[in-house]
Amino acid sequence: MIELLPQAAALIFTFEGIGVLLFGTILGIILGALPGIGSTVAVAMVLPFTLTMSQAPAILLLLAIYAGSVYGGSVSAILINTPGTPQSAATCLDGYPMAKRGEAGLALGWSTVASTIGGLTSAVVLLLAAPQLAALALNFGPIETFALILLGLTCIVSVSEGSLLKGLVAGSIGLFLGCVGGDPITGEARFTFGQFQLISGFNLLAVVIGVFALSEVLLRAAAKDDADHGLVSFSGIVLPPLSAWRGRVKGLVKSVAIGNGIGILPGTGAATAAFIAYAEAQRSSPNRKNFGKGEPDGLIASESANNAVTGGALVPTLALGIPGDAITAVMLATLTLHGVTPGIRLMADNPVLIAAIFSGFFVINLLLLPMGMLVAKGAAPLLRLREGYMLVLIVLLCAVGVYFVRGNPFDLMVMGVAGVLGFILRRQGMPMPPLVIGMVLGPTLEISLRQGLIITDGSFMAFFTGHPIALVLVICAGVMVCLPLIRAVRARLGLVHLHKG
Amino acid sequence: MSVLRERRVTSLALLLIAAALLSQTFGQSYSGLGAFSPMFFPQIVLGFWLFVATLDLGAELRQRHSMTRPRIVRVILIALACVTFLLLMTRIGFFLAAVPFSVFALLVLGLRTPVPIVLVGVGVPAALVALFNHLLKLPLPSSPWAWWF
Repeated sequence: MIELLPQAAALIFTFEGIGVLLFGTILGIILGALPGIGSTVAVAMVLPFTLTMSQAPAILLLLAIYAGSVYGGSVSAILINTPGTPQSAATCLDGYPMAKRGEAGLALGWSTVASTIGGLTSAVVLLLAAPQLAALALNFGPIETFALILLGLTCIVSVSEGSLLKGLVAGSIGLFLGCVGGDPITGEARFTFGQFQLISGFNLLAVVIGVFALSEVLLRAAAKDDADHGLVSFSGIVLPPLSAWRGRVKGLVKSVAIGNGIGILPGTGAATAAFIAYAEAQRSSPNRKNFGKGEPDGLIASESANNAVTGGALVPTLALGIPGDAITAVMLATLTLHGVTPGIRLMADNPVLIAAIFSGFFVINLLLLPMGMLVAKGAAPLLRLREGYMLVLIVLLCAVGVYFVRGNPFDLMVMGVAGVLGFILRRQGMPMPPLVIGMVLGPTLEISLRQGLIITDGSFMAFFTGHPIALVLVICAGVMVCLPLIRAVRARLGLVHLHKG
Repeated sequence: MSVLRERRVTSLALLLIAAALLSQTFGQSYSGLGAFSPMFFPQIVLGFWLFVATLDLGAELRQRHSMTRPRIVRVILIALACVTFLLLMTRIGFFLAAVPFSVFALLVLGLRTPVPIVLVGVGVPAALVALFNHLLKLPLPSSPWAWWF
């Protein structure tokens, strides 16, 4: 990978490359700071506009928006006590109290430096871990691929916050939507109901934008409270002096390690990492009594951990094609739409592109510090914007984005219907990431399963007897499914004991 | 309809959709082809969907807690406005479809100050048309009456 860096640098350090990194980071910070948009909607909104760009700049732009938006969430968390992204929820706990006592600039300074350090370490982890994982996966045939995708599908269990059953229903709907259109082996049309536009299946982008962005607009329209935020006084980011770091570095290192470790695990996500790191810092910090009252240690923990997740979460996404959370599920769809198939052959088939992605991700995280300082002050007044204006803007941008993909009115209708269905399903408490994961992984699961069955003369048991890697992966998948179930049963038993007590 | 009943109806609808789709996969000419059949994988998926949807309906029927009722009229109006805008966008042009949609949506969303409504309702679609049609040369659908919007 190191030997490819000069070629990767030639891809990144062009006028277009530097432009997209700067623009993407700035836009990501602004979109992340706006409450209600969040990283997933931000990437989904910008995705269609990248389809006319070449591969490397397009992917780098979306990565910059991803990393920028995770940091941007801290701006609104600190200034208006409303996390712009779920990952920044823990940042409110100490960030807003600091801002209320007139230290908003310093609070953003701590969060900017911690985010940058977290992001940079995660870029290194991505660079080191992803190629190793991918090299292992190169020996995979259809049977191992089937087992791997099955393992990937188990992350539906972990991203189904609240209700596993509803997550599984959403995942099945996604798998079914992936079946619509021509059969990949015989070419026979399936579930098209006479609509010739459906022969090529549903447009993935229209569905993703519909279920994430448009349904979010409807959910916010349905909410009883109209967000109208007050802003604390803020005149720019103040970086903490070096002497203020004394006694805090150990906590930073620990939080960064937690973020990276959790990021690599499929299905845990940045919000979990931020809260675990915050809880650990609260347990071990010498200033633990000040937590919740504006303690920089709390801010460092949550912000370094949530940004450290970004690179870690991309490791299984790029190397194995297994998305770790909602945002990496959208990133997976992004790569697919750009003609890059994440997973087993990605590193072997596109080494220079991958080196460019890794190096670009490092540069993006380096840019977080200067761009954060530059943009946060400018973005602060935007937080006063009434929600209604933002919702209308989201609808207009989504429509423009989906139209640009193929100029097909049918895709616009798919987006509209997906938005309404997404709203109904989310009202039902159904998480949307499983639907997208099912739709993205479904076609590969189907092809590998059917190819495997053809190879083994229809014997499903033969999948595991002569294929130890497949067996291990299926056992891992079983463990991934069973662990949350056991936890749920134990929690329920604990609750029963509590009631009896 | 109460929120609890709304959830049960949705669960039932999902179950019925799965059952209806699954019934479509049987009795076709390629039945019995095993892994070669185009319906082999959809049958597995739809069978699983039917199974988990049944469990989900059971869970909903046992559910007792209630949720906050949404502003249903507002949602219906916004959803209809969105779908109408998406339908009209390719017929009468982006600008002519986006302006009434934006103004209507802003009013439905509770905004009442006329100047910002007009500025956003007309300004944002106009800015998008100027950006994409004239600056980036990525034309949005234009109206049948004037090429510049």
